[in-house]
Amino acid sequence: MEKVKLNQTPVRTCRNFKINNIDFTDKIPSRIPDFHNVKIAQETGKDEIITDYEFDNFEVKFGSGLEDQIKEQANQKIKIDVKSKTDKEIKVEFDFDEENLKLVDYIEIVAEENTTSNIYIIYRNKLCNEVQDHCDDPSQRCSGVQCAPYKAYHNGLIRIVANNNSKVVVNIINLMNKESSNILGVDSKIEDSAKLKLNIVDFGAKTSVTNVYSNLAGKEANNLINSIYLGTDKEVIDMNYIAECFGEKSNINIDVQGALKDEAVKHFKGTIDFKKGCKKATGNEAENCMLLSDKAKSLALPMLLCSEEDVEGNHSASSGKADNKEIFYIMSRGFDKKSAEKLLVRAKFNSLLEGISNQEMKQEISYEMDQKLD
Amino acid sequence: MAKTQLEEINRNIYDFKNKDDYDYKIKKGLTREIVEEISKQKNDPDWMREIRLKALEIYNQLEMPTWGPDLSELNMDEIATYVRPKGKMASSWEDVPEEIRNTFDKLGIPDSEKTSLAGVGAQYDSEVVYHSMKEDLIKQGVIYTDMETAVREYPEIVKKYFMKCVPINDHKFVALHAAVWSGGSFVYVPKGVKLDIPLQSYFRLNSPESGQFEHTLIIVEEGASLHFIEGCSAPKYNKVNLHAGCVELYVGDNAYLRYSTIENWSKNMMNLNTKKAIVGKNAQVDWVSGSFGSHISMLYPMSILNGEGAKTEYTGISFAGKDQNLDTGFKVIHNAPNTSSVVNSKSISKNGGKCTYRSLVRIMENAKNSKSSVSCESLMLDDFSISDTIPTNDIRTDEVEFSHEASIGKISEKTIFYLMSRGISEEDAKAMIVRGFAYPISKELPVEYAVEMNNLINLELEGAIG
Repeated sequence: MEKVKLNQTPVRTCRNFKINNIDFTDKIPSRIPDFHNVKIAQETGKDEIITDYEFDNFEVKFGSGLEDQIKEQANQKIKIDVKSKTDKEIKVEFDFDEENLKLVDYIEIVAEENTTSNIYIIYRNKLCNEVQDHCDDPSQRCSGVQCAPYKAYHNGLIRIVANNNSKVVVNIINLMNKESSNILGVDSKIEDSAKLKLNIVDFGAKTSVTNVYSNLAGKEANNLINSIYLGTDKEVIDMNYIAECFGEKSNINIDVQGALKDEAVKHFKGTIDFKKGCKKATGNEAENCMLLSDKAKSLALPMLLCSEEDVEGNHSASSGKADNKEIFYIMSRGFDKKSAEKLLVRAKFNSLLEGISNQEMKQEISYEMDQKLD
Repeated sequence: MAKTQLEEINRNIYDFKNKDDYDYKIKKGLTREIVEEISKQKNDPDWMREIRLKALEIYNQLEMPTWGPDLSELNMDEIATYVRPKGKMASSWEDVPEEIRNTFDKLGIPDSEKTSLAGVGAQYDSEVVYHSMKEDLIKQGVIYTDMETAVREYPEIVKKYFMKCVPINDHKFVALHAAVWSGGSFVYVPKGVKLDIPLQSYFRLNSPESGQFEHTLIIVEEGASLHFIEGCSAPKYNKVNLHAGCVELYVGDNAYLRYSTIENWSKNMMNLNTKKAIVGKNAQVDWVSGSFGSHISMLYPMSILNGEGAKTEYTGISFAGKDQNLDTGFKVIHNAPNTSSVVNSKSISKNGGKCTYRSLVRIMENAKNSKSSVSCESLMLDDFSISDTIPTNDIRTDEVEFSHEASIGKISEKTIFYLMSRGISEEDAKAMIVRGFAYPISKELPVEYAVEMNNLINLELEGAIG
């Protein structure tokens, strides 16, 4: 099977460690038909949203490695020009089904100065809401993540420019089914005093490759990346998060929480790079992986690169099973072990879920989480 | 705020050089003919000659590392891989040629031998020139000799262990080492024998445009214990010198080995060394490592915890100044249940130097109930130095406790302020903070090296606060 190297780290380490890139073996389709199941909604009506946006040729400093396909074959091209100053929602939903199996999307978000925005971008397999022949448990409603009668393919790039003093929240929710492939790049530039918060929920796909690059260009640029992932069966989750601090007093915070069941594998590569001149910049990176099976594997490479003296950078990483004392405590309150583990995973994910203002979305994520953990 | 000035390592005590006066120096380059000539010069048995030639084949097949520091300055066509100094190996300093003896005198080796060591080995260029050990250890069956003597006198032991812990195809510079190795120490500590005071081997490379490829093989049998100290230095030349040594440690069940290294190579040295330990049931290996010298270092000692309950600790400090790129760290494989590892690494970079901490913690599927804790801290003392942390954590089972934390930054202004509010001068406060930063490592060093390191961390403050 042909291997494509994706998600290369900005700095290589020993090849034997097997983390410099992922060998992506899922089929990359050569023909990308139209994709129709897209819903775009905005609450204020003040922001300009262009579909069929003819983007200029672009270059990304770091990317997933499949950007050429987006340049040449994107079947969804959207530009969101944020002009409003409220945190009313903009929602872009891509629903995969038998007629819409391949999505190559380019989304450009430009937050003008002093604006506020709250954007949801959702990739999901359509809930069938019915008992189907392929359902494992006929008494249950189908789950978008667990119900997998077909393979979908997604390769996308979300480019974000947060201009001076803008406040941008982008929630990226991957609820693709467990047979699908997901490749997603997020490339952002954050200017003076702008704040970009990325909430990333990575629950879906057989192979999910996510590349997030943040360029903290401006003075006091602020970027918070909260990410949760959940891997089951033989799913592979590969995350490559890179933040470069150029601006003075810029701040980057990366918090990644996840859990792995069965034979799932997770690679987390996180890089905070303090560039010369980013005086008084701060960066923190925390990655925690709860292992719910003795066959699950967690591979992490949390890097700190520093060419500036006057900065503070920290990272921490931890892996292990759920704390026995905590499990015991919850079980002593009448829960079974599976429910106790579910509660602990939910607790880990809570800080991100609390940040999601859309209640329906929050419920959907919770439902899919429960389905995956069952 | 004034800059804290941390002086460069004072290298005067290491930089004196002797005339390039040798008994034999092989021509530069690396060919089959050269490897065969080294084997002939060393009077190798056939099995060792075959290892060398096989290693050369592998060396030619393997590519240069695609990661880490730039090694393009290294040209093997400009390196002489074997330099035999004048004189034979002696067991009395009086019998060592005067100029070489003076070198080790200046480095303080004979003095340390008298006061705090159970045995000493001294290598000059490619050969060991001095070896001795206290009588009572000989009576207990301890063997401490040079590798050539071990190959000759203990062939069965050497055959069993040589290049088994570090296979010759591990990486390109291991293959190079196996092809041209010369010198180094062999230590065998029999079952149950505990050495109260350390053995020390010192490696000095004097010859310009040459390499040192010593092989250290240590076997600590069941229930035995040993502290081994390795020191190394060289004078500075304008062209590249190469050090590609190899250390193989075998620590038997319930045994203990502490391996301390103080590396102070000159700033034209490429230090591409490989060290590994295989650790048995309830045994422990501790690495203490100080990296101060060399132009480029790539050094990642490794513990393979094969026995249930095996333990390892790594305590390391790197200090990179001008023109130095020190890429160091630690690797550990947890390959049995109830194993544990503790890593404590510190680095200081200044004056354009680059420190990189690079590591691997791998907890295998069978290593249930294992624990690993990694901490690394980096201190930058100016804004044109570089400090990178590149740790890989590979956890393959759930019944583990793994944690990693790292921090990077400059001397905290708040801490200086706090100490000053207690009546301590700014200069003293800064000195205290830097010494405090290095203390967890310096306290683990052999005492004479700890004193030396504290002297080296000599703070000089300029300007005034503002």
